[in-house]
Amino acid sequence: MIIVKDLHKKFEDNHVLRGVNYHIKQGEKIVVVGPSGSGKSTFLRCLNLLEMPTGGEIWFDGQNITDPKINIDKVRQHMGMVFQNFNLFNNYTIMDNITLAPVKLKLMSKEEASENALKLLDRVGLKEKADAYPSQLSGGQKQRIAIVRSLAMNPKVMLFDEPTSALDPEMVGEVLEVMKDLADSGMTMVVVTHEMGFAREVGTKVVFMDEGIIMEENTPNEFFNNPQSPRLQEFLSKVL
Amino acid sequence: MQAWLEKIGKMFQMAFIDGDRWKLYIEGLGVTLEIAFFAAILGLAIGTVVALMKLSVTRNGKKTIWAHLAGIYIDIIRGTPSVLQLLIMWFIIMKSCTNGTLVAVLSFGINSGAYVAEIVRAGILAVDKGQTEAGRSLGLSKAQTMGYIVIPQAIKNVLPPIGNEFIVLLKETAIVGYVSLTDLTRAANQITSRTYEAFMPLIGAAVIYFTIIKILTVLLEKLERRLRKSDNR
Repeated sequence: MIIVKDLHKKFEDNHVLRGVNYHIKQGEKIVVVGPSGSGKSTFLRCLNLLEMPTGGEIWFDGQNITDPKINIDKVRQHMGMVFQNFNLFNNYTIMDNITLAPVKLKLMSKEEASENALKLLDRVGLKEKADAYPSQLSGGQKQRIAIVRSLAMNPKVMLFDEPTSALDPEMVGEVLEVMKDLADSGMTMVVVTHEMGFAREVGTKVVFMDEGIIMEENTPNEFFNNPQSPRLQEFLSKVL
Repeated sequence: MQAWLEKIGKMFQMAFIDGDRWKLYIEGLGVTLEIAFFAAILGLAIGTVVALMKLSVTRNGKKTIWAHLAGIYIDIIRGTPSVLQLLIMWFIIMKSCTNGTLVAVLSFGINSGAYVAEIVRAGILAVDKGQTEAGRSLGLSKAQTMGYIVIPQAIKNVLPPIGNEFIVLLKETAIVGYVSLTDLTRAANQITSRTYEAFMPLIGAAVIYFTIIKILTVLLEKLERRLRKSDNR
């Protein structure tokens, strides 16, 4: 579904990604872990071109999206993204946050979008917040809404950029619960996280990034119980 | 005491009543408000467009040619006195135009646009980058993200400095006497030279400016409060 070929990203002199190759298949849940500064967030943000790669190619559903001729807005409609800081639109109610994109992009009528939004809100237990503003919600609620907002576009893949890192500890669980639910429903997911429990439980593959490359990749079981590279062994000894 | 009061009364009579001079202040105020109002609208339009131009980047994150042009415009306008801009507009650029008000509106509008552009740019930059990223990640175009998400939030940020800019602009129009328009300041000055009595006309004009700006300030505060309310904070 997503094929990454020799991906490079430089910020001025800082060479963050130094040749990443990966193949994400339909229905997989890829969990990306690694020390800070390893390039994992940059890698994720390159997948929907929030960061423009400085080298290499990304193929999504059979088209090369790094080709300048591609309409990236169209591609992004099929790739949901959830951010560390939620990024709900502060000037809209929860309902409008969810329906804005489908309605403005003329994918659904206002009524269809509202109906769909209520269904999704119900699924994450926040139906009664439809008319609230983001500033009235807790972090965990905001992040669940952010997930719903992405889902309202019926994406083919969901990207999560450290979705629980900005949450108070007691709210991490409710967000992970929604993500697990989503994983069970068959969604293709790429998740950058520090939640090793989630990686073990939900991931179909766990990827270890360090120094701008993918250093190791394996099934959760092998990844945690039988790490090969010394860097990963060192990393796991620190975080587990 | 009696004599002093009488003297004040006579000065007032001379400055405002004799020869229906109060009409001159009203007419002058009309000219001031007309120029300020249309220049403010023009400045707002120019400023918004120029701010968006200055913020525009290419796919690779470099400044566009539009951004450079916007920068040049702002540099030139901010780098020269507005009286001089007005004179240049009147005597050189629009030499053949006899409509002084139109020349003044254009000159002040173009001048104000440069300052508004920087205010609007700051207001847009003050909106968290995450808002843009969230909009774009949902498939909204650059323009849609700006229009539906960023600009509505930027308006709240820019309202106080924009109000400030309008007030500066209103007072700045006091220089239109240079291109033989009779605004409030020039009217007061003309009356002074006719009556050889400066106190009443000048203080009178000052009070009128002050009152108008006070009203404007109160209205802007009301608008600001109303926009904040929709935040529901």
